[in-house]
Amino acid sequence: MTMSSRDKILAAVKSNQPDFRELPPLPGETASAADASSANAATPNFSPEQLASKFIGLLEGIGGSAYIVSGFDRITHILREEHADAKRIVSGCPELASLAETPAHYDDPHTLENIDLAVLRAHFGVAENGACWITEDLMIERALPFIAQHLALVIHKKDIVANMHEAYERIAKAEKDGMTYGFATFIAGPSKTADIEQSLVLGAHGPRSMTVFLLDEEMSDAGFY
Amino acid sequence: MKESTKDHAALASQFNKDEPRVDWHDKTLWWIREKRDKAAHGVPEWELLRDTASGIKENVLSRLSEYLLQFEEQAIRNGVKVHWAADAKEHNEIISSILRQHAVNKMVKSKSMLTEECHLNEYLQEQGIEVVDTDLGERVVQLAGEPPSHIVLPCIHWKKEEIGELFHEHLGTPAGNADPQFLTHAARLHLREKFLTRRVALTGVNFAVAETGEFVVCTNEGNADMGAHLADVHIACMGIEKLIPQRKHLGVFLRLLTRSATGQPITTYSSHFKKPRPGQEMHIVLVDNGRSIHLGRPDFRSSLKCIRCAACFNTCPVYRRSGGHSYHTAVAGPIGSILAPNLDMKKYADLPFASTLCGSCSNVCPVKIDIHEQLYKWRQVIVQAGNAPIAKKAAMQTMTWVLSNPSVYHTAGKAGRWFMANVPFTVNNSLNPWYKQREMPEPPASSFGEWYKKNKK
Repeated sequence: MTMSSRDKILAAVKSNQPDFRELPPLPGETASAADASSANAATPNFSPEQLASKFIGLLEGIGGSAYIVSGFDRITHILREEHADAKRIVSGCPELASLAETPAHYDDPHTLENIDLAVLRAHFGVAENGACWITEDLMIERALPFIAQHLALVIHKKDIVANMHEAYERIAKAEKDGMTYGFATFIAGPSKTADIEQSLVLGAHGPRSMTVFLLDEEMSDAGFY
Repeated sequence: MKESTKDHAALASQFNKDEPRVDWHDKTLWWIREKRDKAAHGVPEWELLRDTASGIKENVLSRLSEYLLQFEEQAIRNGVKVHWAADAKEHNEIISSILRQHAVNKMVKSKSMLTEECHLNEYLQEQGIEVVDTDLGERVVQLAGEPPSHIVLPCIHWKKEEIGELFHEHLGTPAGNADPQFLTHAARLHLREKFLTRRVALTGVNFAVAETGEFVVCTNEGNADMGAHLADVHIACMGIEKLIPQRKHLGVFLRLLTRSATGQPITTYSSHFKKPRPGQEMHIVLVDNGRSIHLGRPDFRSSLKCIRCAACFNTCPVYRRSGGHSYHTAVAGPIGSILAPNLDMKKYADLPFASTLCGSCSNVCPVKIDIHEQLYKWRQVIVQAGNAPIAKKAAMQTMTWVLSNPSVYHTAGKAGRWFMANVPFTVNNSLNPWYKQREMPEPPASSFGEWYKKNKK
């Protein structure tokens, strides 16, 4: 009987792999925690205000934009102004029903082709790179955050972690609480390319703009309108 | 890529004919290297991250067979079909059989250097299957009938005016329009139609997590996601060295990857694929193609730690001035020069010599591969195996003779100085490779030995 490629590869790898090397601890972990499923990444203690301000700075630096808002009324107002020409808006936020279609599900992702704006909830932001973590249960359809001409994400202002180590700790904790995913992604700014002579162009295949709304319910609306 | 019998030096001299272009290529890549420095310096624990990434990858190589089994088990549990390919041929046959099963003869593909290594596009084209590369840079080189010249920036050697002309010919854009914004928009419309009509999408894999069976694909353009989420069938191809033990390790690699590659803090999209969406089919092809043999070479195995950021390309004085195509292999640059001889030592015998051994590649490598030391070691292996380039072999033999005979050595030195001083044209000509792009130095009046004899007390 001939060996399958699988068995051949596994046998060759096994006989050629070097002697065992320990996994190193991650930055902030102690050595013994390297194999534990979660650990406390020791990162400098930033205040939520500092994290929000760093996040916004990073996001703007990569071509995105951010608003700190008191609630969905304010988001509706801003989106009506910024996307006055949008014909088809889809949202995963029931609070935006006056502005957008808010279905639970689409049968065929190809029908999303003409969406001008998608507004979705995300779990948290990452201060060091301006990215937001979004799992498929918040996307309505996996293709939606990519196929829409413009994208807006909504997170709580307090939900910003310092760096990617903290991000994965949070993802692990959510999984422990039973929140798993089949697909999830970090989105940092609009789709972009610099393939033509290193000139940055926003809107390669995906959204041409990306806005993050940071919800701060304690904020007063006074002075906004 | 077309078979080529030319070596790096010969191909580089073609590239070097257009001096302003070489300068432009050199400067563009150095600018990207500078952006990398700025991004790296913005992370105080950068060196700790590099050490950690290197340590994680060392662990991966030491337990690769276990991680592969764990990954396979998890992926199958997630509803993904797992395939194993011993070599490029088997990889290509697996893809083609999946396409045949679905009676599909057109597919979209996002960036995958592995499929370049396996020459998948050519293989499928011969079977009448159309492959559309959807990364903008890859689409440019594909329309031009070329392989990518850089693993992160596939058309870095193309000028915008040339891309304007190419798009005019293939996509019908107005002649003479070379505006990057306009051309990118034209490509967006052209490729959107492909995304919406193709039923099979192939992507590469940046990292695969043994613990969870998920894999991560990083793009700025969103082309991997547009392809995968609109297709009925998603095929992801990966070399077996792409595994990492646990999801939390992604934190280390995603912090390093784009900062090293382009100076960005992260790619626009870092997509985690774990399960197919309802009704979709998801395949993973695990490819060996020489990697398990490479793993058994103690001096060279650590090159399997590579995460394909291309920082070593951008910093390399030889790459920047010779262009990616002069390496005649899918992965060019310093890292490609230590990976390729593993696949075919004879065919790629020239590549470890395409370096100044300055060590800049090793200094910027986010997983701390000792690239320049491996280049040096490959040279020794290649020469010992009798695969050195002929001119180099002859020169080495002459050197050995000269250096092992003191009287010949002194006579040769004297003769050299006399020739350079009295008949410079005999050395300052195109037969002497050291004269290319440089002036020969003024010959010294005497050798050190003569000077010492005269001046010693």
